[in-house]
Amino acid sequence: MSAELYEREIACDVLVVGSEGAGGPAAINAARAGLDVLIVSKGKMGRCGASQMAGADFNLDGRSAIALGLPGDDRDSPERFFADLVREGFYLGNQRIIEAYVEYAARNTADLLEWGMPVYRFEQVHAEEMARGIITSGVRWVRVLRRKVREMDIPVLEDTMMVDLLTREGRVIGAVALDLRSGEIVLITARAVVLCTGGWQQAYYFNSAAADLTGDGQAMAFRAGAEMIGMEMVQYIPATMLWPPMARKSILPYIMMETEVGPLIQMLNGEGERFMQRYDPSTLEQSTKEIVAIASEMEVQEGRGTPHGGVYFALKHLTPDGVDFVWNKFTEFLDQNDDKRSEFRKLLPHLLETAKTQDLEVGNAVHFMVGGVKVNERTETDVPGLYAAGECSGGLWGSVRVASATTQVGAQGRIAGEACPEYVKSVEHTEPDKAQLEAIVERINAPMQRREGASPIEIMERMHGVTDEYLRVIRDGEGLENAYDELSWLRREEAARLHVSASRTRRLNYEWQLCLELENMLLCLEMSALASLKREESRGGFYRRDFPYTDNDRWCVNTVISNRDCEPALRLEEPVVTSMPPPSGRMTFEEAVAEGTASLRRGEVDEP
Amino acid sequence: MTHPAINVRCFRFDPETDSEPRFQDYRVPLQDGKMSVLDCLNHIREHFDPGLAYFKNCQLGFCQRCSLRVNGKVAMACETPASGDLVLEPVNANEVIRDLWCKST
Repeated sequence: MSAELYEREIACDVLVVGSEGAGGPAAINAARAGLDVLIVSKGKMGRCGASQMAGADFNLDGRSAIALGLPGDDRDSPERFFADLVREGFYLGNQRIIEAYVEYAARNTADLLEWGMPVYRFEQVHAEEMARGIITSGVRWVRVLRRKVREMDIPVLEDTMMVDLLTREGRVIGAVALDLRSGEIVLITARAVVLCTGGWQQAYYFNSAAADLTGDGQAMAFRAGAEMIGMEMVQYIPATMLWPPMARKSILPYIMMETEVGPLIQMLNGEGERFMQRYDPSTLEQSTKEIVAIASEMEVQEGRGTPHGGVYFALKHLTPDGVDFVWNKFTEFLDQNDDKRSEFRKLLPHLLETAKTQDLEVGNAVHFMVGGVKVNERTETDVPGLYAAGECSGGLWGSVRVASATTQVGAQGRIAGEACPEYVKSVEHTEPDKAQLEAIVERINAPMQRREGASPIEIMERMHGVTDEYLRVIRDGEGLENAYDELSWLRREEAARLHVSASRTRRLNYEWQLCLELENMLLCLEMSALASLKREESRGGFYRRDFPYTDNDRWCVNTVISNRDCEPALRLEEPVVTSMPPPSGRMTFEEAVAEGTASLRRGEVDEP
Repeated sequence: MTHPAINVRCFRFDPETDSEPRFQDYRVPLQDGKMSVLDCLNHIREHFDPGLAYFKNCQLGFCQRCSLRVNGKVAMACETPASGDLVLEPVNANEVIRDLWCKST
């Protein structure tokens, strides 16, 4: 192979792309099976990606919790947890994947406890009727994984962005990466690749995620021939800090609303009205995440928003003593957790002090990608040798994520680590196809070689403009058509002529990295817009103003996107059912939400 | 509505092409809500100089990788409010890869 194409070459049995909640367990379990594993991380292990920012809670059914010595509810069972997940995801989830989630939730928890992850409490989260939540800290979780990876001497290539997968005869045989610090191109040959790269939240201006999440895994899997599922299902989180800039994207107000002090908090529109009284008078701000997000956005669209386009998180109706009461209660809650994150120590006191005199501006942030690379219960994609685990994969949740993503990533990471050895032992290392490798290297270097073209920062702003205008909580056909047209134009025309304008150094060149990320984000967005346009109904976390009902007769199907001559081609596919057949009939979105989330209503615990 | 601007003086150095470090000044308008040092750097990169190298990831104090010398004192860029003029330098000027990004970042 021509040495001019790349600077370094590494061979391994299993390449794990992503080092955190999913990548850690994938690597650990593949290494336990005796394989030679390499982790490649876009950041530094334990200091990047989505997992560090998790709340964090892990889910586990009551009976499995008791078996691990946690105070679970013995009325609960894995079967009941499974049934809740299928129903609350509105029947689009792949029931084999849900069965694996429930089974591996317990195994993943056992691993994390053994490796020393602290458990603060076991309680109700995600508004379940029974306690299924292990409360811990995201930062402590990823540090535990890092320690284990170091103990096992698994090599980690840090600050390195994976750009594309290498295939030969339809199999994945390695990948090409860019070392962001040195600008060197790294060729990695591997017998299997596990993608653990998270979502594409950075494609949206207002998101709650780390900078790494740019859809790299989904886009490179698509280019390698893998299918995507449920790309229209994007989860928004309401009550995320919108202003001031320093607090932007913190989900602290949302976390507070989920705790004991939640009922003391009011959400007001720009006119000072407690708007949830009109949308859900019985539970108000304590309604489901999806309803609060839709209501908040409705207020903004109807001209009753705040100066920066959100709604208010208000404590001003309480006296200063009342705010201090909230502060004390919340501090008690934090002290139990021993979670010393900066958000709690530094940002929170400032925000609460501000809240005594001034309401805080909050809004709906893009939080989690429900869809992604289509996998089966073994995390296998349709491309031999390619696995996807955690948020970058799709198929588990159906139309809305109703339980913990931390559990998903840990469970699927372990499943991938256990599933790939059998395949790895059946294949040999394969020499890359020279033409394919050349094309990838050319694509990487092109923005550095073009003398003129589109500015990546300008294209990013245009992309954010499109997502901010059309790809919101409330969608409609006309807006989605506009979004699809503009995104396809940006991807086909502008992304193909991106150029690095300011500095031509290969070391730590932000513009260069952004060029590569934009291609991935635009591809994910285009697929998301295409699937959103196709789905002519509302379901779970997906809401169409022009189709405000849940239509089980026509739409209890998944959108699947495949690569047809490098372009996204959409088809519909029935969900995989093992034991719970989907319902029939059509109901209003509100009725469907009420039925689907019946077990989530606070304070109403029905006997099994 | 116009807001006061602050002067942000940034350490610039590419050890491969520059014989010695230099400082570059930028005028950054303050918003009507509290901004962090990292918000100022983002503004510079998006409006004036996409070539500036510094670290950004979670923006909320989780990753703890965006440490800089802010007016001489080591601090996390995302956790430090920007209220007046700023001088931004790398934590260790002897081990700079580029600009504000050190080998230990």
